[in-house]
Amino acid sequence: MKDFLNKLNSTAISLGAEYAEARALRLTKTSLTLKEEQVEAAKQGIESGVAVRVLVNGAWGFASAGSLEPVTLDNAVLSACRMAKLASTRLKIPIKLAPVKVIEDRVVAKPKKDPSHVSMEEKIQTALKINRSSIGFDSRVKSCGMDYLDLTGNSFFVNSEGTSIEQDKLYVWARITATARTNGVFTFSREEIGSTAGYELFDEQIPEELGKKVAARAVQQLTAKPPKGGKSPVVLGPNVVGVFVHEAFGHLAEADLALSGGLLASNMGKKIGSSLVTFYDDGTLLGSFGAFKYDDEGVPTQKTLLIKDGIVTGLMHNRDTANKFNTNPTGNARAEDFRVEPIIRMRCTYMAPQDQTLEELFEGIKFGYYFKSFRGGQASLDGTFQVGIQEGYEIINSEIGAPIRDASISGNTLETLHKVDAVGRDFVLDPGRCGKGQTAFICDGGPHIRLSEVVVGGSA
Amino acid sequence: MGVLERQTLISTAEDAVKAALKLGAKEAEAYAYEGQAISIGIELGQISKTNCIIDRGLGIRVLVNKAIGFAYTNILTDKAAIEGAVIGALSAAKASKPDPDWHGLPSMQSYRPAEGTFDQRIVELSPEDLVKVTATMLDVAPEVDKRVFPVEGGAGSGYWANAIVNSNGIAAYDRGTIVECSLAALAKEGSEVTPICFEFNITRDYRLNPEWVGREAAKLAVAALKPKPVETKTTRVILTQFALQDLLTYTFMNAIKADNVQRRQSPFKDKIGEQVASKSLTIYDDGLYPGGLRASQFDGEGVAHQKTPIIEKGVLKNFLYDNYTARKENRESSGNASRAGYLSVPGIDVTNFQIMPGRKSAEEMLSEVNDGLIIYYLQGAHSSNPVSGEFSVVANPAWIIKDGMIDHSCKGAMLAGNVFELLKNISVVGGNERQVGNLVAPWVIVENMRVIGK
Repeated sequence: MKDFLNKLNSTAISLGAEYAEARALRLTKTSLTLKEEQVEAAKQGIESGVAVRVLVNGAWGFASAGSLEPVTLDNAVLSACRMAKLASTRLKIPIKLAPVKVIEDRVVAKPKKDPSHVSMEEKIQTALKINRSSIGFDSRVKSCGMDYLDLTGNSFFVNSEGTSIEQDKLYVWARITATARTNGVFTFSREEIGSTAGYELFDEQIPEELGKKVAARAVQQLTAKPPKGGKSPVVLGPNVVGVFVHEAFGHLAEADLALSGGLLASNMGKKIGSSLVTFYDDGTLLGSFGAFKYDDEGVPTQKTLLIKDGIVTGLMHNRDTANKFNTNPTGNARAEDFRVEPIIRMRCTYMAPQDQTLEELFEGIKFGYYFKSFRGGQASLDGTFQVGIQEGYEIINSEIGAPIRDASISGNTLETLHKVDAVGRDFVLDPGRCGKGQTAFICDGGPHIRLSEVVVGGSA
Repeated sequence: MGVLERQTLISTAEDAVKAALKLGAKEAEAYAYEGQAISIGIELGQISKTNCIIDRGLGIRVLVNKAIGFAYTNILTDKAAIEGAVIGALSAAKASKPDPDWHGLPSMQSYRPAEGTFDQRIVELSPEDLVKVTATMLDVAPEVDKRVFPVEGGAGSGYWANAIVNSNGIAAYDRGTIVECSLAALAKEGSEVTPICFEFNITRDYRLNPEWVGREAAKLAVAALKPKPVETKTTRVILTQFALQDLLTYTFMNAIKADNVQRRQSPFKDKIGEQVASKSLTIYDDGLYPGGLRASQFDGEGVAHQKTPIIEKGVLKNFLYDNYTARKENRESSGNASRAGYLSVPGIDVTNFQIMPGRKSAEEMLSEVNDGLIIYYLQGAHSSNPVSGEFSVVANPAWIIKDGMIDHSCKGAMLAGNVFELLKNISVVGGNERQVGNLVAPWVIVENMRVIGK
């Protein structure tokens, strides 16, 4: 395979490319969809293909084909070069890549339980257990669902600079949902789990417990009331902190978005938050959902410091943006599969814990909200963020009070980071998926934190 | 490769179905796909990237003892790979549980053409044409105002063909084309950055107006400068198609899917014939909508597309069915089985969800608002409660309307409420219809929207 990809790169260079890279991917996927203990679909798939990316006169040309046929791929190289050349005619600032070390490596996955060796029957049994424990939890649970996916295979990366990497790929992921209903009130609850370690995920996350947890939340939400809209002090759980870090800050720290007029390019080295704020994007946490050894430009992953004590220290880079910022690439270039080109993506993005206890965070809040678990979040380049909440409670006189439902928080990132006035000593990471045109498997989290105030969106 | 060839695709699918039946499937269905897409992309205000993607594959669904198995492969040149997929589907079915509600794959259909969904000019479009389109948008935007900065966007075109063959005699083939151009721009003044403002054209025939796209994106970005905070109040708002599409997709569109109704996940269960929305609202789901972004002859199971009344003058008329949910109720599928390509099994989805337009122009709609907001985009609509319809989202960008005129942009306005209540609070449906993804709709005016400001 290595020689085959090298040949494609050579063809590109002979057609005038100053840089060429070729990626080949062969993946096997198993997925399941269950609803109310019924297997809606048991799926297996095999896909393979090659992507080539070339730089001609400073413009990118990318072509991919779900094929390993030499003729098809030679044509792909040809059209990538031709289109790049065409685009370069309008280019004002040519793209250059930051230099990186040449790497030759073979990365082998070492799962305790390889998902490709676990039978479909066993996977279905696990999923059924989760479904059963949800639906059996309470008569008010009206429906439950489970999506399961595992992906195994390997990827080759070869570029014209001499780098050649073969990496095993392994992901195990599941999404569990439940709805409950009584007297016209509908509630919905969901949980995601994921790992790059192996199918042993289900030894750590006991299926019955997962099903119960999701069902219990849906049932509890039945008695919840909508929150009062307006400014309020809040305590955020690690699950919400993770999404806040990812959405409200993480996307702004992706160098491509920072360059596109995001807020951070002009704030490098500046204090944009409380001294309690330290954020990382880390691809090195073995087994976590955002972990890998080399990104899809052949750059080693790393633990990237984004904010230290409230001061912006770094961004997430690919080789192109690293060159523009005159820094080193951080290993954040990821492609969902062979069909698409690598773009800057987060890995495991989190807030570093400090030293306060949970009691200390709640202390002194006369009336506020405790937001424990999120449901979706989104941010825009002007720093406006929104995080939806699927599990929350009132805080009354420093104590957790009645549950509330369908809340969200919103604000401007830079204003909000200054409002972080207490950070806990606990630390939890949750897996997730992030959409930026392509889907990436990521992870995020942190400790419990307190915001002195944030706008809470509620209909009451 | 011989993209778009009817006979090749049909026979690939036929072979897979035959192999499945021979290897023990009670029923089998194969979906074959081939497509090619090219695009020119903008980064940092310049054309700097190009893409060319060729994709094809085959998905096969089999039934063994009423249990479903599915497998796919993207290796179509190799008979062994296709047979491997068939064996994979069979073994998945054998590992699965029988479904007592399974009553067979769809039977033979007759199809009507989907008008305006294929244009040979798009197939023959060259990358040079798309570079020209992109360059036009880039040139036009800063001419509107120097503070405008194009962020991303570009132009792209694609064409594809698909075939569905099943063991009940369906052997269907269709093809389609699409072309688009878009520009996302923001405006900068001092340290102030506006949210990204976005415009686009997307059509099934070759009909792009890049000057308009570039100009409108730029105008929006400039208008988003100098935002002011908004007061917390209950008010009248205009929702543009973007905001409407976002709100409806994650809630209302789920509530009319038969699987959600059957699973008691829809507030519309047992509500057919009841008034569930404002009398000014009439909605169809039309899989044959001429030039519709999701229009084609048949759905993901080879069932003929049709026009289904969903709401007529506020009264709930029908749900959307695939073959499985339809047979469960002993009725016919409404042609709403959708596939995300060859990698997925069919699932229920809307096609072209059309809110029937009224007569009022954009100006006339604005003139009916003395004191309110016009909402372009929302952030966080996907965090709505998919079952109850409750939402709590950010309107960004949005503008304050005073005395019938757009006055200034506003920042950080949150909207909270319930989509099913919102449907009852639509007082005016405009006449300025356009397609945004799965939605074909005009602007609407909503009364009593809860806006939360600072």
